[in-house]
Amino acid sequence: MARRRRAGMASVLLACTALLATSCVSSDDNAEGAKSAPSQTTPVQAVAGCEKGWTDPSDLSPTRAPARCAPNTPAAKPLAAKTKIVVTAGTLSAEYLGPLRLGIAKGEFAKENLDVELKQMPSTDAITLLAKGEIDALYSAPEAGMVNAAKQGFNVKWVFGNYSSDPKSKTGVWAKVKEGQTAEQVDLKGARFASLVGKTSIIMYPIERVLSKHNAKVTDVDFKQLDAQGVAQALENGGVEAAWLLDPVWKQFENKPGYVFLGGQPAGEPIGGMLYGPNLLEKNREVGTAFARALIRTVNTYFAGDYKADPAFTQELATVLGSKVELLSAVPSLVTDWEIRTGTTDKAQKMFIEGKVVEAPALTEDKLVDRSFYSEAVGHTGK
Amino acid sequence: MSDQVTTPKTAENGAAPAAEGAPPAEMLLVRRPGSAELDPGKARARRRTLEIVLGIAVPLVLILWWQLAVQQKWIDARIYPAPQTILEDGWQRLVDGKLWPDIWATLKRVVPGFLLGSLAGYVVGLLTGSMPLVRAALEPMLDALYVVPKLALLPIFLLIFGLGETPQIVLVAVTVFFLIWIQTMAAVLAVPEGYREAATVFGANRWQMYRHILIPASLPPVVVGLRLASGMAVLVIVASEGLASPNNDGLGYLIFNAKNIFDNRAMYVGIIVVAIVGVLFSELVRYIGRLLTPWAPDRRGPGGA
Repeated sequence: MARRRRAGMASVLLACTALLATSCVSSDDNAEGAKSAPSQTTPVQAVAGCEKGWTDPSDLSPTRAPARCAPNTPAAKPLAAKTKIVVTAGTLSAEYLGPLRLGIAKGEFAKENLDVELKQMPSTDAITLLAKGEIDALYSAPEAGMVNAAKQGFNVKWVFGNYSSDPKSKTGVWAKVKEGQTAEQVDLKGARFASLVGKTSIIMYPIERVLSKHNAKVTDVDFKQLDAQGVAQALENGGVEAAWLLDPVWKQFENKPGYVFLGGQPAGEPIGGMLYGPNLLEKNREVGTAFARALIRTVNTYFAGDYKADPAFTQELATVLGSKVELLSAVPSLVTDWEIRTGTTDKAQKMFIEGKVVEAPALTEDKLVDRSFYSEAVGHTGK
Repeated sequence: MSDQVTTPKTAENGAAPAAEGAPPAEMLLVRRPGSAELDPGKARARRRTLEIVLGIAVPLVLILWWQLAVQQKWIDARIYPAPQTILEDGWQRLVDGKLWPDIWATLKRVVPGFLLGSLAGYVVGLLTGSMPLVRAALEPMLDALYVVPKLALLPIFLLIFGLGETPQIVLVAVTVFFLIWIQTMAAVLAVPEGYREAATVFGANRWQMYRHILIPASLPPVVVGLRLASGMAVLVIVASEGLASPNNDGLGYLIFNAKNIFDNRAMYVGIIVVAIVGVLFSELVRYIGRLLTPWAPDRRGPGGA
């Protein structure tokens, strides 16, 4: 009997081995290579109220006014059936999520017959789920993980932007200076640099711009990845010489002797926003467009200008975000911008390749960016 | 397998069994000796061989199924790379020298942290186990600290010790400390009172009580605790390196960074190397433990050598 059992076990092993032997397919064969889904957009129609709802993506002027439609436009075009869409974000209380969360609260997505389920999840985890089609959209940025997923053949794309910083904002690179030293004299070569995110983040692009003005390249700096509070504390206690400070952390260093602001996000150029996966890029494009339309309508209705000038609105926004009014009021309004500039992903990839988190060659923009959803939502052909 | 034969027991005088309707006859159980009784040495060796084969075969079958699932495209190789791919990638990293710095960085944090935590935990465990007043003073506080998730302490250690290696080493030490402290205290408390009384009768002083009674009696369970702690130490350092690696190195950094950049091969390589490091570390602790406690029974199981 024991002999029979052992024979059974051996048979299982043999069967597995035989099956393996008969299927001599390289495990890499699944990788399909980066491919771009065909853009099967519905015919674009001019949308009332959105005559200024489009700017040329190649216009990189820092003073460019972002695209805007009239309030409450583009008008809703409800989907035939109520459709659920799952969106994730790394945090749910950040100010840049205002349009999404207020849009949900105000029923802008419901007008499109969309039921948006918003979940909190680190983008590094969510990108895999997005690529597999287990979530529909991800509020993040074209980061190294997204680029590598696209390089491996997953259909994930950056479909609309989020914001650029107000010129008065000092979110960005801050450095310690010696007495009498000016911002221009700061030399960051060999500096220790703290940030919430590491070399895999799009934030490396603006950081590189600042470093290049201060005698350093990305590879010359020792990056320390810390949590938000740790970044500020490391800068304060001398653990690092420079750091990327977020809203409103930089306020505690403003006008403080020994610290200078060296630069932040490029003006007029969003570097984050919404990523779509195969569900919206391939299977349900009209749902993706409806989602874009609702978000753009929310921006035009509530976030078109200096939205924090109205204390009542700031209070409402704080409530919706689960944030505090004093935190929101401490920093300028974001310049909301749903469009994506030409070349942003090229510049980001250059950083990723230099930082050795993405292998060369870089992907062309059309493999990473799809402007057709917001183009269609505002009634522009995208050309 | 031994055979069992049941036969009706005949009357002592050899008379025929009781007639129908009478109470059942007394049964006699006859058991022939099995191979384990006839040749215990061979049986033990056979059992040990079976255990080894099972230990290898079960993971091997799972790995083969995984490979098959990838090759048949039942699962997406980009997300779940085939074992063969992972092995090739891992081997290439080893050959290229890319993996050693991460392994070395993790070991540099785990080993000192483990030694520090073990030593401190053992000393405190001996004291709290043998001195009721010390136990009364420390146990409530240590109990409360024990339940604090150790990773939650990392930001505090970063603040106290800065951005270097120290916070990571201290985190491992603290994790190990509690496991060894509890194990040691319990082991000392479990030493039979008769042992202590015998030592007292022989005039043992406090040091001799530790040297000849408490330490030898408590060491075997402490060695078991050390093995548990070795696994926890690796587990905690990997998570900690994923959160804040001082020099962007270590196996935890490798795993989490690979996840961040959607490099699933590297991520799985990291996970497998962590598993191997964990097993080797645990086996090393077991080996040293056996050297330190030759009087302790082996806990490998029935087939253990």
